[in-house]
Amino acid sequence: MAIKDPVKAGVDSGWAHINAAKLTESQTLEADVVIVGSGAGGGVAAEILTQAGLSVIIVEGGPLKSSSDFNMEERRAYPDLYQQAAGMKTTDKAIGIFQGRAVGGSTTVNWTTSIRTPEPALAYWAQAKSVQGLSKAELEPWFEKMEQRLNISEWAYAPNRNNQALKQGCEQLGWQYTVIKRNVKGCWNTGYCGMGCPVNAKQSMLVTTIPTALAAGATLVSQAKVIKLEHHKDKIFAVKAEAVDGNMKPVGIELMFKAKHYILAAGAIHTPTIMLRSKLPDPHEIIGKRTFLHPTLLSGAVFADPINGHSGAPQSIYSDQFVWQDGADGELGYKLEVPPIHPILIASKTIGYGKSHAELMEKFNQLQVTIALVRDGYHENSQGGQVRLTDNASTLDYPLTDAFWRAARRAYASMAELQFAAGAQQVLPISEGMPYLSSWNEAKKVIAEMDLAPLKTVVASAHVMGGCPMGEDLKLSMVNSYGESHYFENLSVMDGSIFPTSLGANPQLSIYGITARNATRLAEKLTA
Amino acid sequence: MERRTFITTAIAGTACLALGVNYYSADDIGVNKDLDNNHRLLLSVLLPVFLDGALPDVAALKRDALHRTLDAIEHTISILPLDTKAELEQLFEMLEGRLGLLILTGSVTPLMMRNQSELVDMLQSWRTSYLDLMVTAYQGLRELVMASYYSSPEHWSRLHYAKPSFLEDMK
Repeated sequence: MAIKDPVKAGVDSGWAHINAAKLTESQTLEADVVIVGSGAGGGVAAEILTQAGLSVIIVEGGPLKSSSDFNMEERRAYPDLYQQAAGMKTTDKAIGIFQGRAVGGSTTVNWTTSIRTPEPALAYWAQAKSVQGLSKAELEPWFEKMEQRLNISEWAYAPNRNNQALKQGCEQLGWQYTVIKRNVKGCWNTGYCGMGCPVNAKQSMLVTTIPTALAAGATLVSQAKVIKLEHHKDKIFAVKAEAVDGNMKPVGIELMFKAKHYILAAGAIHTPTIMLRSKLPDPHEIIGKRTFLHPTLLSGAVFADPINGHSGAPQSIYSDQFVWQDGADGELGYKLEVPPIHPILIASKTIGYGKSHAELMEKFNQLQVTIALVRDGYHENSQGGQVRLTDNASTLDYPLTDAFWRAARRAYASMAELQFAAGAQQVLPISEGMPYLSSWNEAKKVIAEMDLAPLKTVVASAHVMGGCPMGEDLKLSMVNSYGESHYFENLSVMDGSIFPTSLGANPQLSIYGITARNATRLAEKLTA
Repeated sequence: MERRTFITTAIAGTACLALGVNYYSADDIGVNKDLDNNHRLLLSVLLPVFLDGALPDVAALKRDALHRTLDAIEHTISILPLDTKAELEQLFEMLEGRLGLLILTGSVTPLMMRNQSELVDMLQSWRTSYLDLMVTAYQGLRELVMASYYSSPEHWSRLHYAKPSFLEDMK
C-alpha cells in the first residue's frame, strides 16, 4: 500500500491550482486578497482569510511538490525544495543559508521545531523597537490556536541518539534543556523532515492550511516569481509576476494579479527584494536592512557507539542555557540544538578534502553534531545584514562582527564541554585549522586560541528574519505592529521579515502565531 | 556586476598589461572548447585530489564513480542561479587559461600536467591564503565536488549508510 498523497488527491479533485510554467499566454487574475508566498506566513493568512469568506490567490515562486515527490534523497530535495538548491550564500560567501522554495515554503523542509517567541525578545521589541500589543499574554491565545491547528505538542518518544547526547551533556553539567514541541501528527520518526515529509506527518503549510484554503475556493499559482508591486499614491494596484521553470528561469509568460488587499509573505530575503524592486517609498531607508540569520556554528563529536544522526526526529532537545545569560542586548547568546546528519549536508558543512575528509565521512554513523545558533540583532555590534538588488536577483550582505566572533568562541567551548560531558571520544570544532580534540581540558586551551574568520569558519543559517520590521515608530519600522504598511492602505507583510531582531528561537511558531493574529484582524477589516 | 567579478577586473587587467598575454586562451592547454563545454577535463584532474581516500580502490569502480560525479557536477551547475554560475564559469576559465593559472596558482603549467602533490599544494595554498578570493575559489570547488560526490547513493558504502527502504517496499 503506497502512502496517500493528499495534495495530489486535492488537485485531482479540482483545486484551483495553476502551474504558471505551463501557461501558454499571459494572464490577469483577480481576488479580494493576493498573497505572495506560501510559507508559514502565507499559508496561515490564506486559511484565515478564506475562512472569513474572502477570495484569495496564493502566488508562489517555487513548484508544487508533495509527498509522492519526496524520496528522502538530498539530491532531489535540495534542487526541488530549497532556494538555490540549498547552496544560497551571503554576498561574501561566509554564511550558507537554507531556505525553502516550494509550496509550503520553509515549512515543507524544516525540522518541525516549534517554539513560542521568547519573552525577552517580546520585551525588547516593546521597549526598544516601538512594537505594541505583542506581550506574552496578548499572544498566548494565538499560539494556543496555532498549536492546536498544527498539532504542536511535546515529542513524547525517546530522543534519537544525536539529541540524546545533547540531553546527557546538559544533565551532566546541570545546564537547562527542554524537550521540543513538534508540529507532527502520526510521525514515523524516520528523520527526513528536511527533504519533505514522505508520509505527510509533518503539519507543514503544504498539508494543512493551504489544502484548507484551496478546498474552500482559494487559487494557488505556483512557479510564478513576483517581480514587483505596482503602486500609485497610497495604494498598491497590481502584482506583476513572471512564470519560471523549476530552476527559476523565466519562460516568457507574464502574470498580473489584482486585489483589494495585498500581502507580502515571501520570506525575509524576498519580501524586501520585491519591495526594493518596486521602489516603495522608504524615507528612513529601512527596507532590507537589519536582516538576521541566527548565524550558526557546528561542532562534531566522535562517539564509540552508533549515533546514526540520520535516523529519528531530527530535533527533540534544545538548551537555552546560554541564550539570554547576559541580557537581551548584552554579549550575544546562543541556543544549542542538533541537526540531522545526511551525506551532502555533512560532506559540505565540514572542512578539508582528500584523506582527512574521507576519514571523517567514514565516521558518519559515529558522528554527533551540535549546533549553536547565535542570537543576532540586539547588541550594538550585531546589526545584521542588508538585502541589496543585483543585476539578476538580490544578495544578502551580512558582515560577521567582532561581537559575533566572541560569541562563536564561547559557543565552540560550550559545545565541546557538552559533547565531552556526554561521552564523546573526540571533538572537532568545524573551523579551518582545528584538530580533533581529545579532552575538555585540551579543548578549553585550543578553542581559546583558535583562529576564527569568515570563510575559514563554517557558518550556516536556516532562519532568515527581519528586513521589513514592525513597530509604531516610522523611523524604526516599515509596517505597524499588525504588519500593515505605514505607507499603503492595502498592503500587509506577514512573514519573518517583520521581526525587529532575531528571535533566539526557531521561527516557525512565531510566524504562525503572529500571522494568525494579524490575518484575523485583516479579515475583520476587509469583511466589515 | 559586482558579484560576477570573481577575480576583480583590477587584478586581471593589471596583470594582462604587465605580462602582455591574453586573458584566456584555450589553445594553451590544448582543450577544444567545443568538445569540453562543461570543463570535464579540468574537473577530472581535480576530482581525484578532492576525493582521495573516498573514491573506490578498484579501478573500474573508481572510473564509474568519477564519471557519476562529473555528471552530478554538470547537473549541479545547470541549476545554479545565474550569478553563481557566472562566477564558477569564470573560475573554470581561469584555471584553463595561462594568465588565470598564473594569478591563481603562481605558475602557467596546465593543471593536467601537474602531479598529485603539486595539486594538493595548490589547494592548500588557496585554502590558507590571506586573500578571500583564493579561499573562495577553494571553498567553491570543494563544496561543488563534495556535494556532487555524496549526492549519489552508490557512493555511500564507506559511510555504512543507506536511506530507509520502506517507501520502495510499500510500492
